[in-house]
Amino acid sequence: MKKAIHYINQFFAGIGGEEKADYKPEIREGLVGPAMALNSVIDAEITHTVICGDNFMGSNKDEAVDRILNFLKDKEFDIFIAGPAFQAGRYGVACGTICKAVKEKFNVPVITSMNEENPGVEMFKKDIYIFKGGKSAAKLRKDIKSMADFANKILNGEELSSADEEGYFPRGIRHQVWLESGKTAAERGIEMLVKKLNNEPFETELVIPEPDRVPIAKPIKDLSKANIALVTSGGIVPIDNPDKIQSASATRWGRYDISKLDNLESGVFKTIHAGYDPAAADEDPDRVVPVDVMKVFEKEGKIGKLHKYFYSTVGTGTTQAEAARMGKEMLKYLQDDKVDGVILTST
Amino acid sequence: MKLEIGNFYVKDVAFGNETKFENNVLVINKEEALNYIREDEHITEADLIIAKPGENVRIVPVKEAVEPRIRPDGRPVFPGVTGDVEKTGEGRVHALKGVSVLGVGKHWGSFGDGLIDMSGEGAKYTLFSQTINICLVADTDEEYERYEQQKKNHAIRWGSHRLAEYIGRTVRNLEPEEVEKYELEPVTKRSENMQNLSSVVLVMQPQSQMEELGYNDLVYGWDMNKYVPTFMHPNEVLDGAIISGSFMPASSKWSTYDFQNFPIIKELYKEHGKSINFLGVIMSNLNVSLEQKKRSSIFVAQIAKSLGADGAIVTEEGYGNPDTDYIMCIAALEDIGVKTVGISNECTGRDGASQPLVTLDVKANALVSTGNVSEIIKLPPAEKVIGELQALARDGLSGGWAYDEILGPSVKEDGSIIMENNAMFCGDRIAGWSTKTVKEF
Repeated sequence: MKKAIHYINQFFAGIGGEEKADYKPEIREGLVGPAMALNSVIDAEITHTVICGDNFMGSNKDEAVDRILNFLKDKEFDIFIAGPAFQAGRYGVACGTICKAVKEKFNVPVITSMNEENPGVEMFKKDIYIFKGGKSAAKLRKDIKSMADFANKILNGEELSSADEEGYFPRGIRHQVWLESGKTAAERGIEMLVKKLNNEPFETELVIPEPDRVPIAKPIKDLSKANIALVTSGGIVPIDNPDKIQSASATRWGRYDISKLDNLESGVFKTIHAGYDPAAADEDPDRVVPVDVMKVFEKEGKIGKLHKYFYSTVGTGTTQAEAARMGKEMLKYLQDDKVDGVILTST
Repeated sequence: MKLEIGNFYVKDVAFGNETKFENNVLVINKEEALNYIREDEHITEADLIIAKPGENVRIVPVKEAVEPRIRPDGRPVFPGVTGDVEKTGEGRVHALKGVSVLGVGKHWGSFGDGLIDMSGEGAKYTLFSQTINICLVADTDEEYERYEQQKKNHAIRWGSHRLAEYIGRTVRNLEPEEVEKYELEPVTKRSENMQNLSSVVLVMQPQSQMEELGYNDLVYGWDMNKYVPTFMHPNEVLDGAIISGSFMPASSKWSTYDFQNFPIIKELYKEHGKSINFLGVIMSNLNVSLEQKKRSSIFVAQIAKSLGADGAIVTEEGYGNPDTDYIMCIAALEDIGVKTVGISNECTGRDGASQPLVTLDVKANALVSTGNVSEIIKLPPAEKVIGELQALARDGLSGGWAYDEILGPSVKEDGSIIMENNAMFCGDRIAGWSTKTVKEF
């Protein structure tokens, strides 16, 4: 029989609620909490249950993930299932975090379930299978059943259908399939047109997303009085990466004081961006964040002032939602210092 | 304008002493046919090979597919190509159904050439696995392009059009099994009942992006790169006014066979008088510069507006850069209130994660997807290859490669292959045959 491992939080393990959310990762043999329900519908034996407090995962992510991966390294398992997490935000992010890490480390299928309102959906839907789940634990059995049905298809080597047909959040991956109906493109096109002409509902086969465009800012009237800041998605950080910004799919950012520097020295700063050859950036980090030139401009009076910090994160693989959140967080600091303009550099 | 297509269903094709059509069997005198082909002095080597559905046969590099036809009244089947410029779209044409003439390189392939498997897993990818194929396998003296990735393939393509006409002669004076009739009243002379239905145009964007002439689709023998959109009768398309070119990667290509049988046109005819009033075809093209693209979209929208179209279908012979023409045209029609549906393929990358079309516009809210250009396909060796298998790897076919660090070459030592759908001959069947779609996973 195939083997599975299940991840749940401290609450569903029966350890406690908010007061126990710092509970450190633990692995137990056999079934705990919802693992029992899962075990009864999945074509595999759930050999272990991993438990971790949501806050512990949230505030000590690297440690939590390391510990759990360490638990798993000598275990045999064919599939890894987390949750369901419903609308619980921290639990959802924890399920997404651990599923993604397990998938990357052990290359096994990973499945979780969340409600569409759960922030974990936006953060992880491109990386893993997240089934569309209920809002609360009242839907526990139903959500477990959806995950198990799909897990069973994978475990039994059956052909997998599209995201909508299976019930998980689309991962942004599009592949061609042959329609069982055998309906030709000509028939589908004319049928769609007739519906559109008759103002009846129709379903496009390729949804074009609404563009999220930001209007271009008005020009700065007098640059010589302007306070200018440098922001980068090129991953330039102090050599020890104090904010532990991820090299890809970043969720963290940092700001670093440049008020006493004339430029970014090689060996003092570097890039941690995994999406481009770092050689040129490491040799001279000013190539990505041009502190050197901006300082000259400041001295020459071309700009009024260079803002005291530069802001940095990594753009590769980073979701638009995460990027927008980080941008908004940076904005608060920029506004506090009355920054007039930002030079945003990439890689 | 009334067109009659007299159909002769071909159950088998064989070589024999006399080229004739008898008891639903097409017999070809091979030497006579080849002599006819060799009248073009640029054909240096030529052979005819028959490939039937179900046979363990792989055909590559395929450059063109043509349905054998003839006109009893003597006009050329492809005006401006196989004969003088004459009008099309009315009168009688005879067609041999279930067969296709394929233009195949004896050795050399080019960017737009494709592959056909007659059986097994590979057969599901193209319509031409289901037709009995009369393969003209030839080499030419076109030295100037022998080692070019882009080839005009003029001699082989013209050879296949001429061969289709030669074969068509067998049924010139015979009575067809069935006659399909295609007729549209002049736009302003239609009955009130018809006028009360929603008026619909089909906008076609044939491939015409090579600035150098000789590679593009031709309309009445005219290169469509030097062309602005005009209003055409759908019968002209079904009746040989347009031939395919030699540029578009194979899976996105409209072969001449596709134009002759264009399923979207036939479907619009089917609904004509029932749910729609089919006005006709706005024949556009595909362009290179933004200015050219915009010019064509202005022409299309103006013609649609002047005709009073309520709805439109836009379809492109291509993917990638032509998506800009496609989306721009859809948006231009939506902007003037014409409700529009697009039919095309997508290119989402081997992992499926790339943006499906080069440009996007929310106005394109009704799209039919016919396939994914970049899907990776692995196929076992075939017992027999018509043409030259190495062409897939060696000659820069759009979906083949000579070397890849991870995947190795497209053609393996045992004759098995790995390729992108891109090189499946007319694999995405954008003309409307496709039973594929693209779904999100």
